[in-house]
Amino acid sequence: MSKLLKIALGIFTSIGGFLEVGAIATAAEAGASFRFQLIWAVVLGTICVIFLVEMSGRLAALSHHTIKDAMRERFGPRVFMLTLVSDVLVNVLVLAAEIGGMSLALQLVTGIGFRWWALPTGILTWLLLWKGSFGLIENGVSLLGMVALAFLVGAWKLHPDVHEVLAGLALTLPAERPVHYWFTAVSILGAVISPYLFYFYSSGAIEDHWGVDEIGVNRAVATVGMSFGCVLCIAVMIVAALVLQPAGIQPDRFEQLGLLLTGPLGRWGFYLFSATLLVSCLGAALELSLATAYSFAQGLGWNWGESVHPRDAARFSLTYTIMIAVATLLIVLGLDPLKLTLFSMALTSLTLPVVTFPFLVLMNDRDYCGELGNHWIGNTAVIVISLLASLIALVAIPLQLMGG
Amino acid sequence: MIDLGRQVLDQQLVDRNDLNMGKVDGIALELREGRPARVAAILTGGHLLSRRLHPRIERWVRKLTRGLAPSRVQPLRIPWPQVKKIGIDVKVDFAAADAMPWEHWVRDRIVRRIPGA
Repeated sequence: MSKLLKIALGIFTSIGGFLEVGAIATAAEAGASFRFQLIWAVVLGTICVIFLVEMSGRLAALSHHTIKDAMRERFGPRVFMLTLVSDVLVNVLVLAAEIGGMSLALQLVTGIGFRWWALPTGILTWLLLWKGSFGLIENGVSLLGMVALAFLVGAWKLHPDVHEVLAGLALTLPAERPVHYWFTAVSILGAVISPYLFYFYSSGAIEDHWGVDEIGVNRAVATVGMSFGCVLCIAVMIVAALVLQPAGIQPDRFEQLGLLLTGPLGRWGFYLFSATLLVSCLGAALELSLATAYSFAQGLGWNWGESVHPRDAARFSLTYTIMIAVATLLIVLGLDPLKLTLFSMALTSLTLPVVTFPFLVLMNDRDYCGELGNHWIGNTAVIVISLLASLIALVAIPLQLMGG
Repeated sequence: MIDLGRQVLDQQLVDRNDLNMGKVDGIALELREGRPARVAAILTGGHLLSRRLHPRIERWVRKLTRGLAPSRVQPLRIPWPQVKKIGIDVKVDFAAADAMPWEHWVRDRIVRRIPGA
């Protein structure tokens, strides 16, 4: 494969991984409640995730270890298990949110309640994994995910005030509803800095047998892909601010988000929004299920691989099967997908240091990365941003739960 | 010189057919009278791993898996001379087919019974 094609494909994949139910819902919530005031959170999260994705690719290319594999051998079983437990808790909830997102997209189009759609979408996700040839599915989903560009067109057509957008880049304190403001901010950070994204990325790099030659491609994909995802996320926020906020709509139900693109794009906007939600959630659901199974397999030494037949990686396949079953059940039981999404994204923020700190130790260990270990800028950015996200979450989650 | 703690313990075990067969969960030393200790074998197994997490977790694991066919309290011992290469993984002259009772149990009892497998 030519280098250019590789970069293009990688960029598509990372945009697909970036924009999912979490990013769409949190950005829309932020736009409807605080207009452009929370753009800084999207940008801050993006800076952190660019560093983390680049690091996970570099670790794989230089040490030929995935993150989880390296964590187990560097820190032993206890630290590994701590990260595994936090992964499973967060990933089950986020996976349920993605299945809820798919179900809501289908509810918008068909009018049939989302709980009825949870089982079919859960089974679809599982079948795609069980029947293998994942590479094709992944690239297909990523390409289809480009319908998300509709948000960019929508934001453009609404002519946002450029000065106001730029002002959103600066961290400002809210004039009212401070708890909601900070809770939404950590939800955005959690949605953007998704640990499953870089676990998944490092596993893919190992499966593609990356070496030192890929370091440049890796840097390009991480930077361009994530930045583009960031722009789309900001576009969602702008559209929500200019469509929902003037209409006085506080999206406390997902159905209201269906109106997002009807403002700028009419009837087509409605279908484009549903399609974007469906495809991006499917892509994220596939990545989440695999990422969790990878974590178990790589830390415990099982066979794993996205194209391995279930018979040849029995425990690996069983792990994602159970994950999908539990997540589907949560939606069938009637958990509210929008609340679940915002909460699970905030929870992701809370657990960030558990994931990022051991990872940073690996990236600064010469046994793994040799001369190409981390620069202090990357270390500082990841430490500061993940600590900040976790601390705000520690305060905002209980307050939000008490208030809401 | 091999640093047992960093280069062997908790590393990926790979069998003679390049199949993953668990992690190195423990290392057995042979203590010899008047002479330095010698590495006798590397060990792998869920019970041993759970003991390293916490003795209480080991008791839970024992209770949970009691009665299930592949549950084996003693870890698998791979004699040190069968360790062929220590690098990114620990490669051993051994067949994973004989070493992964749980993988086979899950495959035969669960995965094969799911349609499409």
